[in-house]
Amino acid sequence: MTAALTVTNLSVSYGNVVAVHDATFTVEEGDACAITGPNGNGKSSILMGVTGLVRRRGAVEIFGTKAPNGDVRWAARHGLTLVPERRQLYPDLSAADNIILGCYCWTRSIGRARRSGSFGRAIDLFPELEPHLKQAAGTLSGGQQQMVAIARGLASDPKILAVDEPCLGLAEAVARRVYDVLARIHEQGTTLIIVEEAPKRALTLCNKRVEVRNGLALLDAGGKTA
Amino acid sequence: MKFGNLLIAGLVTGSIYAVFAVCVSVWYRVSNILNLAVGDFAMVGALGVDYVYRVKGLPLPVAIITTLAVVGVFAYAYDRVVLRLAQDGPRRMEGIVVTFFFTFALSFFIDGVAKMLFGTDVHAAPALWNGQALTWASLHFERAGLLVLGCAIIIGGAFWLYIRYTLGGKALEACGENVIGARIAGIDTRRYRWLIFVATAVIAAIFGIVESPITGYTYLSGATISLTGFLAAAYGGFRKPGRALLAGLFIGVLEALLGGYVSAEYGDTVLYAILAALVLAWPRGLGFESAVSG
Repeated sequence: MTAALTVTNLSVSYGNVVAVHDATFTVEEGDACAITGPNGNGKSSILMGVTGLVRRRGAVEIFGTKAPNGDVRWAARHGLTLVPERRQLYPDLSAADNIILGCYCWTRSIGRARRSGSFGRAIDLFPELEPHLKQAAGTLSGGQQQMVAIARGLASDPKILAVDEPCLGLAEAVARRVYDVLARIHEQGTTLIIVEEAPKRALTLCNKRVEVRNGLALLDAGGKTA
Repeated sequence: MKFGNLLIAGLVTGSIYAVFAVCVSVWYRVSNILNLAVGDFAMVGALGVDYVYRVKGLPLPVAIITTLAVVGVFAYAYDRVVLRLAQDGPRRMEGIVVTFFFTFALSFFIDGVAKMLFGTDVHAAPALWNGQALTWASLHFERAGLLVLGCAIIIGGAFWLYIRYTLGGKALEACGENVIGARIAGIDTRRYRWLIFVATAVIAAIFGIVESPITGYTYLSGATISLTGFLAAAYGGFRKPGRALLAGLFIGVLEALLGGYVSAEYGDTVLYAILAALVLAWPRGLGFESAVSG
Protein backbone atom coordinates (compact mmCIF):
# COMPACT_ATOMS: atom_id res chain seq x y z
CA MET A 1 0.00 0.00 0.00
CA THR A 2 1.15 3.53 -0.71
CA ALA A 3 0.95 6.35 1.78
CA ALA A 4 -1.95 8.65 0.95
CA LEU A 5 -1.06 11.17 3.60
CA THR A 6 2.17 11.54 5.54
CA VAL A 7 2.28 14.02 8.40
CA THR A 8 5.65 14.73 10.02
CA ASN A 9 6.16 16.88 13.13
CA LEU A 10 3.01 18.91 12.51
CA SER A 11 2.49 21.81 14.91
CA VAL A 12 -0.31 24.35 14.86
CA SER A 13 -0.49 27.38 17.12
CA TYR A 14 -2.91 30.26 17.50
CA GLY A 15 -0.85 33.20 18.75
CA ASN A 16 0.95 31.89 21.83
CA VAL A 17 -1.36 28.93 22.29
CA VAL A 18 -0.01 25.68 20.90
CA ALA A 19 -2.96 23.55 19.75
CA VAL A 20 -1.04 20.70 18.12
CA HIS A 21 2.48 19.70 19.06
CA ASP A 22 4.68 17.58 16.79
CA ALA A 23 2.03 15.25 15.43
CA THR A 24 3.41 12.48 13.20
CA PHE A 25 1.25 9.87 11.51
CA THR A 26 0.63 8.19 8.17
CA VAL A 27 -2.62 7.27 6.46
CA GLU A 28 -2.33 4.54 3.81
CA GLU A 29 -4.41 4.54 0.64
CA GLY A 30 -7.72 2.83 1.33
CA ASP A 31 -7.53 3.40 5.07
CA ALA A 32 -10.32 4.77 7.17
CA CYS A 33 -8.55 6.66 9.90
CA ALA A 34 -10.25 8.07 12.99
CA ILE A 35 -8.75 11.04 14.82
CA THR A 36 -10.26 10.87 18.27
CA GLY A 37 -9.88 12.57 21.61
CA PRO A 38 -11.71 14.95 23.94
CA ASN A 39 -12.96 18.34 22.81
CA GLY A 40 -10.39 21.14 22.69
CA ASN A 41 -7.43 18.79 22.41
CA GLY A 42 -6.47 19.74 18.88
CA LYS A 43 -8.22 17.20 16.64
CA SER A 44 -9.73 19.74 14.30
CA SER A 45 -6.52 21.78 14.36
CA ILE A 46 -4.64 18.74 13.04
CA LEU A 47 -7.09 18.49 10.16
CA MET A 48 -7.03 22.23 9.50
CA GLY A 49 -3.23 22.24 9.58
CA VAL A 50 -3.05 19.25 7.23
CA THR A 51 -5.46 20.74 4.69
CA GLY A 52 -3.83 24.16 4.95
CA LEU A 53 -6.79 26.06 6.36
CA VAL A 54 -4.50 27.34 9.14
CA ARG A 55 -0.72 27.80 8.97
CA ARG A 56 1.41 25.03 10.40
CA ARG A 57 4.96 23.92 11.06
CA GLY A 58 6.11 20.52 9.93
CA ALA A 59 5.70 18.63 6.69
CA VAL A 60 2.59 17.23 5.00
CA GLU A 61 2.80 15.00 1.95
CA ILE A 62 -0.24 14.01 -0.13
CA PHE A 63 0.51 10.95 -2.28
CA GLY A 64 4.21 11.73 -2.01
CA THR A 65 3.95 15.39 -3.03
CA LYS A 66 4.89 17.99 -0.44
CA ALA A 67 1.96 20.28 0.33
CA PRO A 68 2.64 24.04 0.51
CA ASN A 69 1.86 25.69 3.81
CA GLY A 70 -1.44 27.48 4.32
CA ASP A 71 -2.97 26.73 0.90
CA VAL A 72 -6.23 24.85 1.26
CA ARG A 73 -6.90 25.18 -2.47
CA TRP A 74 -3.77 23.19 -3.25
CA ALA A 75 -4.98 20.35 -1.06
CA ALA A 76 -8.37 20.28 -2.81
CA ARG A 77 -6.70 20.19 -6.23
CA HIS A 78 -4.40 17.35 -5.17
CA GLY A 79 -7.04 15.00 -3.88
CA LEU A 80 -7.52 15.93 -0.22
CA THR A 81 -10.86 17.58 0.47
CA LEU A 82 -12.04 18.79 3.85
CA VAL A 83 -15.63 18.60 5.03
CA PRO A 84 -15.21 21.13 7.79
CA GLU A 85 -16.66 21.39 11.24
CA ARG A 86 -19.92 23.37 11.23
CA ARG A 87 -20.14 22.53 7.52
CA GLN A 88 -19.28 26.03 6.18
CA LEU A 89 -21.93 26.00 3.46
CA TYR A 90 -23.06 29.00 1.41
CA PRO A 91 -26.43 29.64 3.11
CA ASP A 92 -28.10 31.78 0.41
CA LEU A 93 -27.14 29.46 -2.46
CA SER A 94 -29.28 26.45 -3.29
CA ALA A 95 -28.24 22.99 -2.10
CA ALA A 96 -27.50 22.01 -5.70
CA ASP A 97 -25.25 25.07 -6.17
CA ASN A 98 -23.45 24.27 -2.93
CA ILE A 99 -22.75 20.76 -4.14
CA ILE A 100 -21.72 21.72 -7.66
CA LEU A 101 -19.19 24.23 -6.32
CA GLY A 102 -17.28 21.23 -5.04
CA CYS A 103 -16.36 20.66 -8.71
CA TYR A 104 -14.69 24.09 -8.88
CA CYS A 105 -11.28 22.68 -7.96
CA TRP A 106 -11.10 20.64 -11.19
CA THR A 107 -13.28 22.49 -13.72
CA ARG A 108 -14.64 25.95 -14.55
CA SER A 109 -17.36 24.58 -16.83
CA ILE A 110 -20.77 24.15 -15.25
CA GLY A 111 -21.78 21.72 -17.99
CA ARG A 112 -18.82 19.44 -17.38
CA ALA A 113 -19.41 19.67 -13.64
CA ARG A 114 -23.09 18.62 -14.04
CA ARG A 115 -22.24 15.71 -16.31
CA SER A 116 -19.30 14.53 -14.21
CA GLY A 117 -19.22 11.22 -12.41
CA SER A 118 -18.22 12.80 -9.13
CA PHE A 119 -21.21 15.17 -9.09
CA GLY A 120 -23.57 12.34 -10.05
CA ARG A 121 -22.14 10.12 -7.35
CA ALA A 122 -22.50 12.89 -4.74
CA ILE A 123 -26.17 13.38 -5.67
CA ASP A 124 -26.91 9.64 -5.88
CA LEU A 125 -25.56 8.96 -2.40
CA PHE A 126 -28.18 11.24 -0.85
CA PRO A 127 -31.57 10.49 -2.43
CA GLU A 128 -33.22 12.27 0.52
CA LEU A 129 -31.75 15.57 -0.70
CA GLU A 130 -33.50 15.27 -4.09
CA PRO A 131 -36.63 17.28 -3.13
CA HIS A 132 -34.53 19.97 -1.44
CA LEU A 133 -31.92 20.60 -4.12
CA LYS A 134 -33.41 23.96 -5.13
CA GLN A 135 -33.85 25.12 -1.54
CA ALA A 136 -31.40 27.63 0.01
CA ALA A 137 -28.86 25.65 2.00
CA GLY A 138 -29.31 27.87 5.07
CA THR A 139 -32.94 26.76 5.38
CA LEU A 140 -32.18 23.02 5.46
CA SER A 141 -32.13 20.98 8.65
CA GLY A 142 -28.82 20.23 10.35
CA GLY A 143 -28.71 16.68 9.00
CA GLN A 144 -29.51 17.81 5.47
CA GLN A 145 -26.83 20.49 5.69
CA GLN A 146 -24.28 17.88 6.77
CA MET A 147 -25.26 15.76 3.77
CA VAL A 148 -24.86 18.76 1.46
CA ALA A 149 -21.41 19.40 2.96
CA ILE A 150 -20.34 15.79 2.40
CA ALA A 151 -21.80 15.84 -1.11
CA ARG A 152 -19.87 19.05 -1.87
CA GLY A 153 -16.72 17.31 -0.66
CA LEU A 154 -17.41 14.32 -2.92
CA ALA A 155 -18.08 16.51 -5.95
CA SER A 156 -14.41 17.54 -5.80
CA ASP A 157 -13.59 13.92 -6.65
CA PRO A 158 -11.28 13.46 -3.66
CA LYS A 159 -8.88 10.60 -3.14
CA ILE A 160 -8.88 11.44 0.55
CA LEU A 161 -11.99 12.83 2.24
CA ALA A 162 -11.37 14.41 5.64
CA VAL A 163 -14.58 14.83 7.63
CA ASP A 164 -14.54 16.96 10.77
CA GLU A 165 -17.14 16.01 13.43
CA PRO A 166 -19.75 14.75 10.94
CA CYS A 167 -22.38 14.09 13.59
CA LEU A 168 -22.03 17.22 15.73
CA GLY A 169 -25.51 18.22 16.90
CA LEU A 170 -27.33 15.57 14.87
CA ALA A 171 -30.02 13.19 16.11
CA GLU A 172 -28.94 9.56 16.54
CA ALA A 173 -30.89 8.30 13.50
CA VAL A 174 -29.43 11.00 11.27
CA ALA A 175 -25.92 10.34 12.62
CA ARG A 176 -26.32 6.65 11.72
CA ARG A 177 -27.39 7.62 8.22
CA VAL A 178 -24.32 9.86 7.85
CA TYR A 179 -22.09 6.98 8.91
CA ASP A 180 -23.82 4.59 6.48
CA VAL A 181 -22.94 6.99 3.69
CA LEU A 182 -19.36 7.40 4.91
CA ALA A 183 -19.03 3.60 4.92
CA ARG A 184 -20.25 3.46 1.32
CA ILE A 185 -17.84 6.19 0.28
CA HIS A 186 -15.05 4.15 1.86
CA GLU A 187 -16.21 0.97 0.11
CA GLN A 188 -16.08 2.82 -3.21
CA GLY A 189 -12.35 3.32 -2.64
CA THR A 190 -11.99 6.76 -1.09
CA THR A 191 -9.54 7.07 1.79
CA LEU A 192 -11.31 8.50 4.82
CA ILE A 193 -10.13 10.57 7.76
CA ILE A 194 -12.80 11.18 10.37
CA VAL A 195 -12.44 13.48 13.36
CA GLU A 196 -14.77 12.30 16.09
CA GLU A 197 -15.09 13.12 19.74
CA ALA A 198 -16.93 9.86 20.50
CA PRO A 199 -14.61 7.12 19.20
CA LYS A 200 -17.18 4.38 19.52
CA ARG A 201 -19.06 5.30 16.38
CA ALA A 202 -15.95 6.12 14.35
CA LEU A 203 -14.32 2.81 15.19
CA THR A 204 -17.17 0.80 13.70
CA LEU A 205 -15.87 2.05 10.38
CA CYS A 206 -12.21 2.91 10.86
CA ASN A 207 -9.26 0.53 10.73
CA LYS A 208 -6.82 3.01 12.19
CA ARG A 209 -6.90 5.48 15.00
CA VAL A 210 -4.93 8.56 15.96
CA GLU A 211 -5.66 9.49 19.55
CA VAL A 212 -5.08 13.14 20.43
CA ARG A 213 -4.41 14.25 24.01
CA ASN A 214 -3.43 17.84 24.82
CA GLY A 215 -2.23 18.48 21.31
CA LEU A 216 -0.08 15.33 21.23
CA ALA A 217 -0.98 12.69 18.67
CA LEU A 218 -0.65 9.07 19.76
CA LEU A 219 -0.90 6.51 17.00
CA ASP A 220 -2.95 3.49 17.81
CA ALA A 221 -3.08 0.84 15.12
CA GLY A 222 -6.22 -0.78 16.50
CA GLY A 223 -9.67 -0.25 15.11
CA LYS A 224 -12.87 -1.98 14.10
CA THR A 225 -12.69 -3.82 17.40
CA ALA A 226 -13.79 -1.29 19.96
CA MET B 1 -47.02 61.84 -25.19
CA LYS B 2 -45.65 63.61 -22.14
CA PHE B 3 -45.87 60.35 -20.24
CA GLY B 4 -43.94 58.45 -22.88
CA ASN B 5 -41.14 61.01 -22.97
CA LEU B 6 -40.95 61.13 -19.19
CA LEU B 7 -40.81 57.36 -19.14
CA ILE B 8 -37.93 57.31 -21.62
CA ALA B 9 -36.03 59.95 -19.64
CA GLY B 10 -36.72 57.99 -16.46
CA LEU B 11 -35.51 54.74 -17.97
CA VAL B 12 -32.26 56.40 -19.06
CA THR B 13 -31.53 57.85 -15.59
CA GLY B 14 -32.81 54.63 -14.03
CA SER B 15 -30.47 52.52 -16.11
CA ILE B 16 -27.55 54.62 -14.84
CA TYR B 17 -28.64 54.05 -11.23
CA ALA B 18 -29.20 50.40 -12.04
CA VAL B 19 -25.71 49.84 -13.38
CA PHE B 20 -24.06 51.49 -10.38
CA ALA B 21 -26.34 49.52 -8.06
CA VAL B 22 -25.29 46.31 -9.82
CA CYS B 23 -21.63 47.28 -9.48
CA VAL B 24 -22.06 47.96 -5.76
CA SER B 25 -23.99 44.80 -5.03
CA VAL B 26 -21.92 42.40 -7.14
CA TRP B 27 -18.75 43.49 -5.39
CA TYR B 28 -20.46 43.40 -1.99
CA ARG B 29 -21.51 39.86 -2.81
CA VAL B 30 -17.84 38.94 -3.29
CA SER B 31 -16.08 40.94 -0.63
CA ASN B 32 -18.65 42.14 1.92
CA ILE B 33 -17.32 45.64 1.33
CA LEU B 34 -19.54 48.43 0.00
CA ASN B 35 -17.84 50.29 -2.81
CA LEU B 36 -18.52 53.95 -2.03
CA ALA B 37 -15.97 55.02 -4.62
CA VAL B 38 -17.82 53.56 -7.61
CA GLY B 39 -19.19 56.99 -8.59
CA ASP B 40 -15.73 58.51 -8.37
CA PHE B 41 -14.47 56.02 -10.93
CA ALA B 42 -17.29 57.23 -13.22
CA MET B 43 -16.22 60.83 -12.62
CA VAL B 44 -12.59 59.97 -13.40
CA GLY B 45 -13.76 58.25 -16.60
CA ALA B 46 -15.67 61.31 -17.80
CA LEU B 47 -13.22 64.02 -16.72
CA GLY B 48 -10.18 61.91 -17.61
CA VAL B 49 -11.30 61.50 -21.23
CA ASP B 50 -12.16 65.19 -21.40
CA TYR B 51 -8.70 66.06 -20.03
CA VAL B 52 -6.72 63.83 -22.37
CA TYR B 53 -8.85 64.68 -25.45
CA ARG B 54 -9.62 68.39 -25.02
CA VAL B 55 -6.71 69.65 -22.92
CA LYS B 56 -3.91 67.38 -24.12
CA GLY B 57 -5.26 67.16 -27.66
CA LEU B 58 -4.89 63.42 -28.18
CA PRO B 59 -7.34 61.47 -30.40
CA LEU B 60 -10.57 60.33 -28.73
CA PRO B 61 -9.95 56.54 -28.91
CA VAL B 62 -6.52 57.06 -27.32
CA ALA B 63 -8.10 59.22 -24.61
CA ILE B 64 -10.73 56.57 -23.81
CA ILE B 65 -8.29 53.66 -23.75
CA THR B 66 -5.75 55.56 -21.65
CA THR B 67 -8.37 56.64 -19.11
CA LEU B 68 -9.85 53.16 -18.76
CA ALA B 69 -6.37 51.66 -18.41
CA VAL B 70 -5.45 54.17 -15.69
CA VAL B 71 -8.67 53.43 -13.79
CA GLY B 72 -8.11 49.67 -14.06
CA VAL B 73 -4.48 49.79 -12.97
CA PHE B 74 -5.29 52.15 -10.11
CA ALA B 75 -8.11 49.90 -8.86
CA TYR B 76 -5.81 46.88 -9.05
CA ALA B 77 -3.06 48.69 -7.14
CA TYR B 78 -5.53 49.82 -4.49
CA ASP B 79 -6.70 46.26 -3.97
CA ARG B 80 -3.14 44.91 -3.81
CA VAL B 81 -1.93 47.54 -1.36
CA VAL B 82 -4.83 48.61 0.84
CA LEU B 83 -7.56 45.97 0.69
CA ARG B 84 -5.00 43.19 0.88
CA LEU B 85 -3.62 44.62 4.12
CA ALA B 86 -7.14 44.96 5.49
CA GLN B 87 -8.46 41.55 4.52
CA ASP B 88 -5.66 39.10 3.85
CA GLY B 89 -3.28 39.92 6.69
CA PRO B 90 -2.75 37.69 9.73
CA ARG B 91 -5.42 39.70 11.54
CA ARG B 92 -8.35 39.99 9.18
CA MET B 93 -10.35 43.14 9.90
CA GLU B 94 -14.07 42.79 9.94
CA GLY B 95 -17.19 44.78 10.65
CA ILE B 96 -18.26 48.30 9.98
CA VAL B 97 -14.73 49.67 9.54
CA VAL B 98 -13.95 47.42 6.60
CA THR B 99 -17.49 47.63 5.17
CA PHE B 100 -17.30 51.40 4.72
CA PHE B 101 -14.02 52.94 5.69
CA PHE B 102 -11.59 51.88 2.98
CA THR B 103 -13.74 52.79 -0.01
CA PHE B 104 -15.00 55.97 1.66
CA ALA B 105 -11.41 57.08 2.16
CA LEU B 106 -10.66 56.12 -1.43
CA SER B 107 -13.55 58.30 -2.60
CA PHE B 108 -12.10 61.35 -0.82
CA PHE B 109 -8.65 60.58 -2.18
CA ILE B 110 -9.89 60.38 -5.78
CA ASP B 111 -11.89 63.60 -5.35
CA GLY B 112 -8.79 65.39 -4.11
CA VAL B 113 -6.61 64.22 -6.98
CA ALA B 114 -9.37 65.02 -9.49
CA LYS B 115 -9.70 68.56 -8.14
CA MET B 116 -5.99 69.17 -8.69
CA LEU B 117 -5.95 67.60 -12.16
CA PHE B 118 -9.27 68.63 -13.67
CA GLY B 119 -10.17 71.80 -11.74
CA THR B 120 -13.60 72.62 -10.36
CA ASP B 121 -15.55 73.44 -13.54
CA VAL B 122 -18.24 71.33 -15.14
CA HIS B 123 -16.86 69.23 -17.98
CA ALA B 124 -17.94 66.21 -19.97
CA ALA B 125 -16.41 63.66 -22.27
CA PRO B 126 -17.29 64.44 -25.91
CA ALA B 127 -20.50 62.86 -27.18
CA LEU B 128 -19.76 59.51 -28.81
CA TRP B 129 -22.82 59.54 -31.05
CA ASN B 130 -23.46 63.02 -32.41
CA GLY B 131 -26.58 64.41 -33.98
CA GLN B 132 -30.16 65.45 -33.39
CA ALA B 133 -32.42 63.55 -31.05
CA LEU B 134 -34.22 60.72 -32.82
CA THR B 135 -37.98 61.10 -33.04
CA TRP B 136 -40.51 58.35 -33.39
CA ALA B 137 -44.26 58.99 -33.09
CA SER B 138 -43.70 62.16 -31.03
CA LEU B 139 -41.33 60.32 -28.67
CA HIS B 140 -37.87 61.82 -28.37
CA PHE B 141 -34.80 59.67 -27.95
CA GLU B 142 -31.57 61.44 -27.08
CA ARG B 143 -28.71 59.61 -28.73
CA ALA B 144 -26.56 59.69 -25.59
CA GLY B 145 -29.53 58.30 -23.66
CA LEU B 146 -29.90 55.40 -26.08
CA LEU B 147 -26.20 54.69 -25.73
CA VAL B 148 -26.54 54.64 -21.94
CA LEU B 149 -29.55 52.34 -22.14
CA GLY B 150 -27.75 50.01 -24.54
CA CYS B 151 -24.65 49.81 -22.34
CA ALA B 152 -26.82 49.17 -19.28
CA ILE B 153 -28.62 46.30 -21.00
CA ILE B 154 -25.35 44.73 -22.17
CA ILE B 155 -23.59 45.07 -18.81
CA GLY B 156 -26.60 44.03 -16.71
CA GLY B 157 -27.25 41.07 -19.02
CA ALA B 158 -23.61 39.98 -18.96
CA PHE B 159 -23.50 39.99 -15.16
CA TRP B 160 -26.79 38.12 -14.97
CA LEU B 161 -25.67 35.42 -17.39
CA TYR B 162 -22.32 35.10 -15.62
CA ILE B 163 -23.78 34.70 -12.13
CA ARG B 164 -26.70 32.56 -13.18
CA TYR B 165 -25.14 30.18 -15.66
CA THR B 166 -21.43 29.77 -14.96
CA LEU B 167 -19.53 27.99 -12.25
CA GLY B 168 -17.31 31.07 -11.91
CA GLY B 169 -20.41 33.17 -11.19
CA LYS B 170 -21.54 30.79 -8.47
CA ALA B 171 -18.02 30.78 -7.04
CA LEU B 172 -18.22 34.57 -6.95
CA GLU B 173 -21.36 34.33 -4.83
CA ALA B 174 -19.77 31.73 -2.58
CA CYS B 175 -16.86 34.08 -1.77
CA GLY B 176 -19.10 36.55 0.03
CA GLU B 177 -21.30 33.88 1.60
CA ASN B 178 -18.56 31.98 3.36
CA VAL B 179 -14.86 32.67 2.88
CA ILE B 180 -13.71 29.47 4.58
CA GLY B 181 -16.24 27.38 2.69
CA ALA B 182 -15.12 28.99 -0.58
CA ARG B 183 -11.43 28.32 0.06
CA ILE B 184 -12.16 24.69 0.95
CA ALA B 185 -13.80 24.25 -2.45
CA GLY B 186 -10.63 25.59 -4.11
CA ILE B 187 -12.01 29.07 -4.84
CA ASP B 188 -9.47 31.91 -4.82
CA THR B 189 -11.47 34.55 -2.90
CA ARG B 190 -8.72 37.18 -3.22
CA ARG B 191 -8.59 36.83 -6.97
CA TYR B 192 -12.36 37.29 -7.26
CA ARG B 193 -12.18 40.35 -5.02
CA TRP B 194 -9.67 42.20 -7.18
CA LEU B 195 -11.13 40.97 -10.47
CA ILE B 196 -14.61 42.27 -9.67
CA PHE B 197 -13.24 45.45 -8.10
CA VAL B 198 -11.27 46.26 -11.25
CA ALA B 199 -14.14 45.20 -13.52
CA THR B 200 -16.71 47.37 -11.72
CA ALA B 201 -14.30 50.33 -11.63
CA VAL B 202 -13.79 50.11 -15.40
CA ILE B 203 -17.53 49.65 -16.02
CA ALA B 204 -18.23 52.72 -13.88
CA ALA B 205 -15.65 54.68 -15.87
CA ILE B 206 -17.25 53.58 -19.16
CA PHE B 207 -20.60 54.77 -17.86
CA GLY B 208 -19.11 58.07 -16.82
CA ILE B 209 -17.80 58.55 -20.36
CA VAL B 210 -21.08 57.61 -22.04
CA GLU B 211 -23.33 59.48 -19.66
CA SER B 212 -21.39 62.69 -19.00
CA PRO B 213 -22.57 64.45 -22.21
CA ILE B 214 -26.12 64.35 -20.75
CA THR B 215 -25.44 65.81 -17.30
CA GLY B 216 -21.86 67.12 -17.19
CA TYR B 217 -19.50 66.23 -14.34
CA THR B 218 -17.44 68.06 -11.75
CA TYR B 219 -14.83 66.55 -9.46
CA LEU B 220 -17.57 66.19 -6.83
CA SER B 221 -20.12 64.34 -9.00
CA GLY B 222 -18.89 60.92 -7.87
CA ALA B 223 -20.42 61.04 -4.40
CA THR B 224 -23.96 61.67 -5.72
CA ILE B 225 -23.69 58.79 -8.18
CA SER B 226 -22.34 56.44 -5.52
CA LEU B 227 -25.17 57.47 -3.19
CA THR B 228 -27.91 56.68 -5.71
CA GLY B 229 -26.28 53.40 -6.68
CA PHE B 230 -25.90 52.60 -3.00
CA LEU B 231 -29.57 53.39 -2.39
CA ALA B 232 -30.77 51.19 -5.24
CA ALA B 233 -28.41 48.42 -4.09
CA ALA B 234 -29.90 48.72 -0.61
CA TYR B 235 -33.30 47.85 -2.11
CA GLY B 236 -31.75 44.58 -3.18
CA GLY B 237 -30.37 43.93 0.30
CA PHE B 238 -26.91 44.70 -1.20
CA ARG B 239 -26.67 41.05 -2.20
CA LYS B 240 -29.11 40.70 -5.07
CA PRO B 241 -27.79 42.38 -8.22
CA GLY B 242 -30.97 41.56 -10.18
CA ARG B 243 -33.18 43.25 -7.64
CA ALA B 244 -30.78 46.18 -7.35
CA LEU B 245 -31.07 46.63 -11.12
CA LEU B 246 -34.88 46.74 -10.97
CA ALA B 247 -34.73 49.12 -8.01
CA GLY B 248 -32.41 51.43 -9.95
CA LEU B 249 -34.79 51.51 -12.93
CA PHE B 250 -37.77 52.06 -10.62
CA ILE B 251 -36.11 54.98 -8.83
CA GLY B 252 -35.15 56.58 -12.15
CA VAL B 253 -38.66 56.30 -13.61
CA LEU B 254 -40.31 57.47 -10.39
CA GLU B 255 -37.96 60.45 -10.24
CA ALA B 256 -38.82 61.47 -13.82
CA LEU B 257 -42.58 61.05 -13.34
CA LEU B 258 -42.58 63.00 -10.07
CA GLY B 259 -40.52 65.74 -11.67
CA GLY B 260 -42.92 65.90 -14.62
CA TYR B 261 -46.30 65.57 -12.93
CA VAL B 262 -45.90 66.60 -9.27
CA SER B 263 -43.27 69.25 -8.96
CA ALA B 264 -39.95 69.93 -10.60
CA GLU B 265 -38.71 71.57 -7.42
CA TYR B 266 -39.93 69.14 -4.83
CA GLY B 267 -39.82 65.99 -6.96
CA ASP B 268 -36.72 64.66 -5.21
CA THR B 269 -38.17 65.31 -1.77
CA VAL B 270 -41.33 63.40 -2.64
CA LEU B 271 -39.18 60.65 -4.21
CA TYR B 272 -37.18 60.09 -1.04
CA ALA B 273 -40.36 60.24 1.06
CA ILE B 274 -41.87 57.47 -1.09
CA LEU B 275 -38.66 55.40 -0.91
CA ALA B 276 -38.51 55.76 2.87
CA ALA B 277 -42.20 54.86 3.20
CA LEU B 278 -41.62 51.72 1.12
CA VAL B 279 -38.83 50.62 3.42
CA LEU B 280 -40.96 51.17 6.50
CA ALA B 281 -43.98 49.42 5.03
CA TRP B 282 -42.22 46.43 3.55
CA PRO B 283 -38.71 45.95 4.98
CA ARG B 284 -38.48 42.21 4.58
CA GLY B 285 -39.78 42.17 1.02
CA LEU B 286 -37.24 44.78 0.00
CA GLY B 287 -34.37 42.89 1.53
CA PHE B 288 -33.56 45.47 4.20
CA GLU B 289 -33.65 42.98 7.04
CA SER B 290 -31.10 40.76 5.39
CA ALA B 291 -28.94 43.82 4.74
CA VAL B 292 -28.95 44.65 8.44
CA SER B 293 -28.58 41.17 9.83
CA GLY B 294 -26.07 40.20 7.13
